[in-house]
Amino acid sequence: MDHRPQAWGRPRDDVYGAYDPSYFHNSGPKTATQSPIVTGTSVIAIKFKDGVVIAADNLASYGSLARFTDVKRLRPFLNASVVGFGGDVSDMQYLDRHLKELAIDVAYITPEASEQTKDFTAANLFTYLQKVMYHRRNHFDPLWNQILVAGLDNDDAPFLASVDLRGTSFTSPSLATGFGAALAQPIMRKYAATEEDAAKLTREQAVDVVKECMKVLFYRDARSLDRYSIAVVTKEGVELKEDEQLERQSWAFAERIKGYGTQTV
Amino acid sequence: MAMFSQNPLMNGPNYSFSDSPRVAAPEGTRQHRFDPYTDNGGSTLAIAGADFTIMAGDTRLTSGYSINSRFHPKVFKIGGTTADQKDATLVLSVVGFAADGEALKERLDSICKMYRYRHGKPMSVKACAQRLSTILYQKRFFPYYAYAILGGLDEEGKGAVYSYDPVGSYEREQCRAGGAAASLIMPFLDNQVNFKNQHIPGSGEGHALQERERRPLTRQEVEILVKDAFDGAVERHIEVGDGLQMMVITAAGIEEIVLPLKKD
Amino acid sequence: MTSIGTGYDLSNSIFSPDGRNFQVEYAVKAVENGGTSIGIRCKDGIVLAVEKIVTSKLLKPNANKRIATVDRHLGVVYSGMVPDGRHFVDRARDEARSWRDTFKTPIPTSDLASRLGGYLQAYTLYSSVRPFGITAIVGGFDSELEAPVDGEVGNGPSCGAGGKNKDKKHGGPFLYMIEPSGLYWGYYGAATGKGRQAAKAELEKLDLSGEGLTLEEAVKEAARIIYVAHDDSKDKDFELEMTWISGIDGPTKGFHQEVPKALKEEAERLAKKAIDDDDDEDEDEEKKEGGDGDKMEE
Repeated sequence: MDHRPQAWGRPRDDVYGAYDPSYFHNSGPKTATQSPIVTGTSVIAIKFKDGVVIAADNLASYGSLARFTDVKRLRPFLNASVVGFGGDVSDMQYLDRHLKELAIDVAYITPEASEQTKDFTAANLFTYLQKVMYHRRNHFDPLWNQILVAGLDNDDAPFLASVDLRGTSFTSPSLATGFGAALAQPIMRKYAATEEDAAKLTREQAVDVVKECMKVLFYRDARSLDRYSIAVVTKEGVELKEDEQLERQSWAFAERIKGYGTQTV
Repeated sequence: MAMFSQNPLMNGPNYSFSDSPRVAAPEGTRQHRFDPYTDNGGSTLAIAGADFTIMAGDTRLTSGYSINSRFHPKVFKIGGTTADQKDATLVLSVVGFAADGEALKERLDSICKMYRYRHGKPMSVKACAQRLSTILYQKRFFPYYAYAILGGLDEEGKGAVYSYDPVGSYEREQCRAGGAAASLIMPFLDNQVNFKNQHIPGSGEGHALQERERRPLTRQEVEILVKDAFDGAVERHIEVGDGLQMMVITAAGIEEIVLPLKKD
Repeated sequence: MTSIGTGYDLSNSIFSPDGRNFQVEYAVKAVENGGTSIGIRCKDGIVLAVEKIVTSKLLKPNANKRIATVDRHLGVVYSGMVPDGRHFVDRARDEARSWRDTFKTPIPTSDLASRLGGYLQAYTLYSSVRPFGITAIVGGFDSELEAPVDGEVGNGPSCGAGGKNKDKKHGGPFLYMIEPSGLYWGYYGAATGKGRQAAKAELEKLDLSGEGLTLEEAVKEAARIIYVAHDDSKDKDFELEMTWISGIDGPTKGFHQEVPKALKEEAERLAKKAIDDDDDEDEDEEKKEGGDGDKMEE
């Protein structure tokens, strides 16, 4: 027995070899996020005549493990915009904290709540977020997310845009991240192929389309969940529901699926 | 902290720590897995006329096989004094990695604006072209992955087109196609704008065959040419389509035309 | 001014033989010259109000705000030297921000008051600095939801370890007043500045410790008290500035915000009416007394 306290509780050199102190020394290039760890899947959104509907399920996956089933991936900002996050959850939390601080900064300069949203529209918020994302990619330290921003622009027209970990940004009458780009976007484009089409959609129609898409995503995306969040952003503000359940599922189609492609037997 | 100090005076003889810290990480330098670039497809085109320049680009934005947006402009007015750029005199088109393209556009725009506020006159195409080259070369070792084309009217009022590679190499040209379908459009332009491989019928055999004489094209001819070029590109390239945006720069100002392209 | 000429009032870091720090006491004098500020803690929130003396017609009405937001749920109002107050607010914001950075949760009002009390106190210790010429009223509504963490993604377990305790009460409205000495206490109603005596007298008439007022009542009382405390013989014109903080179910959803225009105007209308009625009563009484006098003569 070694009686020196320094030795207590440590692996013995003669059994395990000398401790490798290089563990404590950070050498080599700075290690930023280089791959996402805990991830959220699709976010989908569609414009309608008075605003935008946006939805995302409540799952955070750890690889193929459904790790956290109560994760809110839609974040309201100043009751005027909703930010939907796909991709790494820790980076989402970082951005969420960052946006909260930004909201406090806005409150410092603009004490009146109704004035705040006039200055900080979804369009302005998006411009800011795009710069943050592009700046981080320029420093090889990306925030591993694809983000949708829903709300109104500076002329009070519906606004919807996307930015990803490289700072690539774009807008469209409907948008979807991740799997949703392949599965939900074609369905949404049927209802809102152009801005003019989207401007004809009612709120109810838009909500129905989004719910239908969430169902399709749950059928076909293995990293998805049947509990989801959905938000409607209009001039009146944000209406966010964070614990919705997919309704009227039918798995009857599953029986007919055999093998891949056109195989029927 | 004293435990890890490696200093025997501070915490007595060390037990299981080896005395000398290793400097290099055992597995060698770590690989960066993040690729900061991506290709967002699309194509651009610019043709200089006698007293006008036409800049054009499709409006599709892709990543891989996905269409991200059907209307994402690649052609921008530059250096106007207002947000809507209504008094701009220059046009920039960018294609390649969209985020870099956008950043490049915004930098050049603010530089042109500053020039205009300081000097009380818009920047000439020639000056702006040189400045753009410098901006691109400043990022020589982490380039803007964008193929830029700058268009305007030169000091004599003639159409001017300057084309660039991503690190700032540039030249003034009669016409240039950039982006995904550049290799499809450029030979067509060589033939239709510079009359390459066009000969006067019956003028001779072999070397005696006379080239068709070059003449400046009219605005109508060029507009049709641009549309034809893009219709062809849309047919043969999956990353090109949805909409065609054209900026016609004349002494009277800049006119913007948006036409539909096939969405498939 | 017994201190004058003794030399004990020339430096912060020297006590007078009878145990006083005169520099701090002079700072209190500076506060007593400032426009009246009050804070009311009612059962469902906090109301802050300040009498903003209009020193020049060239100042834009309703600009130059005097009540500051420190965090989403925190507001500060102060009387005394405005530049000192501005710096105090900067410090409060830094404290609130660094608390968030460390604990990922909003700073409780009590902790903010404690830190700011400590900050002011430090300015009473050294000969190289002068104490703050302000008394500040800090109001906050600590969230009644269970420990909301910034960036929190879920609700946590519904039962068992780490589960929610349904009946447990959290947060609520809190009000503190911090003086130049660094002294701070929690209050139901706080008043400072030139009209503090009148304002305190009015606040004491309210039942704040018992049943408590509703927020709307408190807004109206706050407006009235500022009007009562205003002395038109000394200052002609003033503006009323008011903010409030409710809980998550209240009108401001836990945020520190300006009182909406309509409500503020209504409160001011009632305040002016109350003052006029009071004046009328006084006049009536005077008349009566006069009348009696006449009778006596008869």
